[in-house]
Amino acid sequence: MGLRKFSLREFLKKNFDFITGILSEVGLTALIMGVALAICLLLVFIKSVF
Amino acid sequence: MKVIGFNLCKFGNIIGALLLVPIIVAVFYKEFDIIPHFLIASSATFILCNVGIHFLRTTKEMELKHALCFAALTWIFCMLLAAIPFWSTGSTGSYLDANFDAMSGFTTTGLSLVRDIDHLPYSINFYRHFLQFVGGVGIIVFSLTILARSEMSSVLAFKGEARELGIRPSIVRTSRIILGIAITFMVLGAVLFTAVGISEGAGVGTSIFDGVNYSMAAYSTGGFAPHSQNMLFYHSTPYEVVALAIFLIGSFNFTFHYAVLGGKRREIFKNIEIRTMFITLTLSTLVISGLLLFSNVYSSSAMLFRKAFFQAASAHTTTGFGTVHPAQIPSLWGSAVMFIMSLIMVLGACANSTGGGIKAIRVGVIAKSFFREIKKALMPKTAWVTEKFHHIETTPLTDTIARGAMLIAVGYIFLFAVGTTVTVLHGYNTSDSMYETASAVGNVGLSSGITSPAMPALLKVTYIFLMWAGRLEIMAVLALMGFAILGLRRGIKK
Repeated sequence: MGLRKFSLREFLKKNFDFITGILSEVGLTALIMGVALAICLLLVFIKSVF
Repeated sequence: MKVIGFNLCKFGNIIGALLLVPIIVAVFYKEFDIIPHFLIASSATFILCNVGIHFLRTTKEMELKHALCFAALTWIFCMLLAAIPFWSTGSTGSYLDANFDAMSGFTTTGLSLVRDIDHLPYSINFYRHFLQFVGGVGIIVFSLTILARSEMSSVLAFKGEARELGIRPSIVRTSRIILGIAITFMVLGAVLFTAVGISEGAGVGTSIFDGVNYSMAAYSTGGFAPHSQNMLFYHSTPYEVVALAIFLIGSFNFTFHYAVLGGKRREIFKNIEIRTMFITLTLSTLVISGLLLFSNVYSSSAMLFRKAFFQAASAHTTTGFGTVHPAQIPSLWGSAVMFIMSLIMVLGACANSTGGGIKAIRVGVIAKSFFREIKKALMPKTAWVTEKFHHIETTPLTDTIARGAMLIAVGYIFLFAVGTTVTVLHGYNTSDSMYETASAVGNVGLSSGITSPAMPALLKVTYIFLMWAGRLEIMAVLALMGFAILGLRRGIKK
């Protein structure tokens, strides 16, 4: 009584901005780490060539 | 003075309540001998504060000058009270050391004088990280509701709300939103840390305890760790990647979180702070990795990522987690790398975040005004040169904003110079002193080995002052000094 049936679709629809916002921020950190890793790989490559 | 004292005592009751939280951990781990220490500290706080409230009761509302002094004194008041359990349980060698750790916790610095971290009671260890989380959330509330009211920090305002509302309603409303976002990321971090801990072979209990503590320290860009080896304890790349993700998120501006979580995802690419941090972090990673690679300190890209980038990101976001032992930094990395690390520690993270330092928005604004001046010099005298920057909304770069950013930057450089001089005068070499001072003033927590229980008492006091002044972005400290001088003058005249 008083409890509504939980709907995943409804939950995602209601919190779409919040969830995608969290994913976007995690994506941003992944981008920063990816660029850093690319720099490390590039430097090692340059050192091995010269 | 009465209105500041009254509000300080009212706020003290919150600290009294927070001192009861570690008791839950003490009960869970059956550390019944630790419970009285927290009970005594909490009771002493409640008694002191309620006596203060009784004698200082006033209906007067706080003005900006009062709010700035209140904020500056709050950090000292909190330190003195929060230090009690560290001191009474013998976790630190003296009350001064306990104050050092309490200030380091509240300011989310991460430098520590606690003895034998690996054998601390669980509740005391949890308490250290809990202080950082509370301090991290507290500083955002402070910067959004009090600092944002001053003209110098006008660029930091939270949709102008802080100016329009009274201090109290603004604090209550903003605190709720900040706490909600902070807890979301903290829980997310704790789950990830725990999962990685279990997958790396640690026990479930240890993984959960470590996960919660590392997550609190990472989101608050604090740098305390439940093990003396800090991030080296797990020797795990996934653990370090999770830490990187959480402390990078913690170092972003709260208004940026608010905008992105509210659907403004384009802010990620347009925001001046994110752009500035991305550029400075990428450049510092390039230079530090290059120096360490070509001086044959590390030879693989994996080691460069885990050591050079991790430490650079930890320094830039003012976190203080380390994957290199502090004693190895001066001998292995050398003074050139230490100088760059000191520089990025002073530059710091984003404004309105848990991070410290000059802040990326000010660095971005200073860089833009620098380019504006060059453009002006190259254009004809009659040309009108304008510059804009984007932070939530596009704002024209005025002289007032540029002056405010530069004044704070000068203040940080002054503190850095004073701290370095004091450290050098104690007999430490210049690069070590710069590194340690930058760490204290930028609220970072990385160490070159100077910070230890054996360091001179004057240096401990200096670092406590630097952590405090750095955390309050100097302005509140200057306001407090001005208030004290004004009070003294009036006293002398009477």
